[in-house]
Amino acid sequence: MQIAGPAGWLRSVLPQSISDSVVYDVIWPLIQIAVALFIVMTLVAYLTLAERKISAWIQSRMGPMRVGPWGLLQPAADGLKLLIKEDIIPLLADKAVFTIAPIVSMVAAITVLVIIPYGAGWAPITDVNIALLFILAFSSVGTLGIILGGWASNSKYPLLGALRSSAQMISYEVAMGLALIGPLMWSKTLSMVGIVNAQNGDHIWYVFYQPLGFLIYFVCALAETNRAPFDLPEAESELTGGFHTEYSGFRFSLYFIAEYAAMFTVSAIAVTVFLGGWDFGGLIGHFLANTHQNVYTVISIIVFFGKVLLLLWAFMWFRWTFPRYRYDQLMDVGWKWLIPASLANIVLTGVWFVIGISIPDGKPFLKNYGTYIAAPGFPAKAYVIGSAFLVTITLTAILLSSINKHSRDFNLRTQRQLQLQKRAERLAEAGNM
Amino acid sequence: MSEKQGLKDFISRLLLLDLVKGLIVTLKYHNAALVQKRGATGQGDDPLKGIYTKQYPKERPIVAERFRGAPRLNNDPETGETLCIACNLCALACPEDCINVGSENREVMEGGKLKKKKVLTVYTFDTSRCMFCNLCSEACPTDCVELTQNFELASYTRIGAMWDREDLEGGRAIKQYTS
Repeated sequence: MQIAGPAGWLRSVLPQSISDSVVYDVIWPLIQIAVALFIVMTLVAYLTLAERKISAWIQSRMGPMRVGPWGLLQPAADGLKLLIKEDIIPLLADKAVFTIAPIVSMVAAITVLVIIPYGAGWAPITDVNIALLFILAFSSVGTLGIILGGWASNSKYPLLGALRSSAQMISYEVAMGLALIGPLMWSKTLSMVGIVNAQNGDHIWYVFYQPLGFLIYFVCALAETNRAPFDLPEAESELTGGFHTEYSGFRFSLYFIAEYAAMFTVSAIAVTVFLGGWDFGGLIGHFLANTHQNVYTVISIIVFFGKVLLLLWAFMWFRWTFPRYRYDQLMDVGWKWLIPASLANIVLTGVWFVIGISIPDGKPFLKNYGTYIAAPGFPAKAYVIGSAFLVTITLTAILLSSINKHSRDFNLRTQRQLQLQKRAERLAEAGNM
Repeated sequence: MSEKQGLKDFISRLLLLDLVKGLIVTLKYHNAALVQKRGATGQGDDPLKGIYTKQYPKERPIVAERFRGAPRLNNDPETGETLCIACNLCALACPEDCINVGSENREVMEGGKLKKKKVLTVYTFDTSRCMFCNLCSEACPTDCVELTQNFELASYTRIGAMWDREDLEGGRAIKQYTS
């Protein structure tokens, strides 16, 4: 068995007494995992610096400048500080759960990193056929860590934060999953590598086929990772620190790392499903893919991380632009807008799909390539993109706004009327006395 | 609300225009912070955008033109002797009584003649009580006492706030931080 790339090189370097299966299935994946973990954890550490820097720039400040050149060693200083801080466990806390909770969050955030396709060829660690399902399942386990931590602290604010977090998870996980179904209807697979290959085969990014899906996914991703404007579980001005109020030292930093790792994960999913994964297209890409496999793979990894970083930057940009949603507004957006919109997106995608595969007669727009469905040629692409951008979004918006138009006013009016009625009763009572 | 406004409102809500507007504002500040510093006088760079922070110990701030800070006793630029004639007007003008002028009558050679003259011996200035009103400087008949633009008056002791004649004439040595 001959495998190209670093795995093959490893085989030729290691002695023959180690069998092929050990090299390909144990040693090489372990090396991949170590490298991926190192890169992503470093990235996560530097995300904390990026967060502070970007917030500073948006507010016309400089951010950390004192540790190292331009504050580049700040993450190391922060980590050291958190390590040597006192580790406090509140007296009446549930000690076992209090200890386990941040670990649950952290493990859930890190496990998912195995599935992410970092690049073409030999770059992905593994190709699981239910990858997307696995990731969605594990990201909700991360929220479980938050709920446990908030409950175990035996304190008011963390409990409130945990309650908010659970409500938020229920509301937004649904819409997130439904938003991902649109692209899956095209790729016909849950495998991350398969989704990217389907996009490569069709020479398109699914964000053009599924703009509404991408929008919903992005909003839900913000909510899932507890980022502003949906950072209700840790709302600083209302709940001091939210679920991690009672946490200090390294336990706190575990939560912190988990949050940023979760940010990386949701961005990586968005890039894979909607933004073409490692694909950088064009003639150079095809030339390299056919001739210089290793160079192509390395460039694809860089492209993948570039796209992820761009999305992470957008996360931070949004955080420092928008004020926090009120709790009922959060529920409003989740249940009244995002979930119906994602359902409408699925239905409308199906409608375009059926129309596209049956007309025009004899030469249908859409073709089934077995592993995925594509729209080859310019008119087909124009049909799919046009219908998605113009009709789907407009139709959904009109539908939802006409449904939701009076719901809010209705509630407010009934509430006001109830208060007026009570006041009239009180006045009548006072008059009788 | 008319029908047309309703449609306009609907379109702006459909395209989330208000959110985009906010994003553009922050993006402008973000990009301006990357490329420029805020002009101190508003010349050249945009006075409303760019980084506002001054890295103080590393970078000297530019104080306002009429800012009044640490006191100074001026010397005659030709002879190098103090301009102070120990007239005590500054001490009398000071609303906080933070200036103390000590003098004695001495016989001094001036222009080949022996003259009896009031000479300054002690001059202390209590910066902890000074409110930098500049009345002393205005009272001074010889333009000797003056408030400079130096604002670094902090010291570790209360007595450190008392500036004696040496400090006032030469200025205090300030530790300059470079990194």
